[in-house]
Amino acid sequence: MAFFITALYLGYLLAPMLLLLVGSVGATWSNTLLPTDGLTARWFLQVWHDRSFRLAFITSLQVAGATVVLCAILGAPLAYAVASAGHRGVRLAARITYLLPVAAPPIVLAFGLMLVFSSDALPFLGATWVLIGGHVVLCLPYLLHTLVADMRHLDLPAQELAAEALGGGFWRRFFDIVLPALRHSLLSGSVMVAALSIGEFQLSNLIAGFLNRTYPVVLLQAFYGATGFACAATVVLLVLALIAAITGALAARGASGTKGLAG
Amino acid sequence: MSVAVEALSYAWPGTTNGVADIHLAIAPGELVAVIGPSGCGKSTLLKLIAGFLTPQQGRVLLAGRDATGMPPRARELGIVFQAYALFPHMTALQNIAWPLSIRGVSRTERHRRAAEMLDRVGLLAQADRLPAKLSGGQQQRVALARAMVFGPKALLLDEPLSALDATLRVEMRDEIRRLQQESGIATLHITHDQEEALSIADRVAVMREGRVLQCAAPRELYTRPASRAVAAFVGHANLWEATVLDATTLSTPIGILRTQAHGFAPGDAVAALVRPEHVQIGASADGSNSFTGRLLRDRFLGSFRRLDLAVDGGTVALETASDITPQAVFIPPEAVQLLPAD
Repeated sequence: MAFFITALYLGYLLAPMLLLLVGSVGATWSNTLLPTDGLTARWFLQVWHDRSFRLAFITSLQVAGATVVLCAILGAPLAYAVASAGHRGVRLAARITYLLPVAAPPIVLAFGLMLVFSSDALPFLGATWVLIGGHVVLCLPYLLHTLVADMRHLDLPAQELAAEALGGGFWRRFFDIVLPALRHSLLSGSVMVAALSIGEFQLSNLIAGFLNRTYPVVLLQAFYGATGFACAATVVLLVLALIAAITGALAARGASGTKGLAG
Repeated sequence: MSVAVEALSYAWPGTTNGVADIHLAIAPGELVAVIGPSGCGKSTLLKLIAGFLTPQQGRVLLAGRDATGMPPRARELGIVFQAYALFPHMTALQNIAWPLSIRGVSRTERHRRAAEMLDRVGLLAQADRLPAKLSGGQQQRVALARAMVFGPKALLLDEPLSALDATLRVEMRDEIRRLQQESGIATLHITHDQEEALSIADRVAVMREGRVLQCAAPRELYTRPASRAVAAFVGHANLWEATVLDATTLSTPIGILRTQAHGFAPGDAVAALVRPEHVQIGASADGSNSFTGRLLRDRFLGSFRRLDLAVDGGTVALETASDITPQAVFIPPEAVQLLPAD
């Protein structure tokens, strides 16, 4: 019974992806269950040669890359500060604050950014760095959450106490003890951030400029054209997301492996 | 180098728990063990000396200099924690070399000194292993080596053996004593295991409710406890509430006891202490200090037995190597010690 339910669920999960794959290489697909007229690489080539898709692909990579780097730079010290806050009330307040972007719909943030950056004083709406800033706000909570959970699990305070007694100042402790201890969760959290950033649509759709639309934003328009083209364009995004997910899973497995030995 | 605390007091915020008016001095090369039930303030004392807590009153002196306001990392103390707190991503050698790296020792030199230290704790073959790949005893040795490698002013051991099994504990406490004597370092050893304290310490401080009740050499602590509480905590003891009747007689719940009541006047309430190994089987010639009863418990402990005899008004505990099951026991007058009643 359990097997049957699992299989059913997996089918439900995988069928659309399979159909996308089939559609992306099918020559013609209209009003039939499956594409007709044989296989073709035409759609992928079209996506490849489409200037707006190439631009969007590059913009997405840039935004995701910058978001990952910024999140890592901000996340490690922030998580450290949250986890080592002495007062329980402070820790709780910090958690609520950093989880707010998860609770609030991205559209709320987008409207805020639109209000601020469309004014005459700050006419920056559409700039890539505004896009990056928005993505950082949306993705950082997920990295923070991973890091803070890991820190509690690793019993860092005891190691830090020992390091301090041995003569280690704050920066030495941070770089020699805290960061190496967090390397696995930092990696898996960063991959999650990359995946989220690459797939982000709601916020990007509202605040991206015409020349720096991200991939998912351009992708929506593909569905007004040929089905095969839309499928091929989506498969590209799917592959990117898969790469991120697999890397994340491997990093997480590495982390849990180390912990298993330590325990 | 020495460690001393003077009139040290600390109360945990919002409580009356902590330590009060502690005076303790550890001479260079001396090992002082602090024992007491949990919550007696022994760990608080260590945290105050280490600098993890700041005392509300009193001073901490390291090598004769006031270190009360110093941050922990400036105190140059070697601390071994209960859970070792080794750095899990560093090998045994890297763990030991880390405090040297902090002190700017060159790479080759710190490698050499860390390897030398590993050799001293007998773990040179395990130099490249991560802590997770070491046994509890080996981790303990690495923690000890890491705490000693940079030549600290003193060694603070916070229940370092409590996570080990019994046989390993005995082995490791001798190891700690050996290393400590080799390097002649002043050492404070916190433990709740009195056997551990008595067996390796030069002096033992008994703490209770935040105060040091007595600090003395192990033998003195056992043979001449300063109070009823110390007598009860250190070793096994028969302790009876007693009243001095005259210069040679006590009234106790189990009957009249004859002994010299030096320093007490008739009518004084005292505690009468008799160590179980001083209780003899049989009866005295004149029948005084002799008690008959029924055997309550008989514990075989290898070279001796520990027996509890139920007598009128109480229990007499005795230790004997003989196989006889006694019906009567005898307490020699000189075996009775009188302590102030608490």
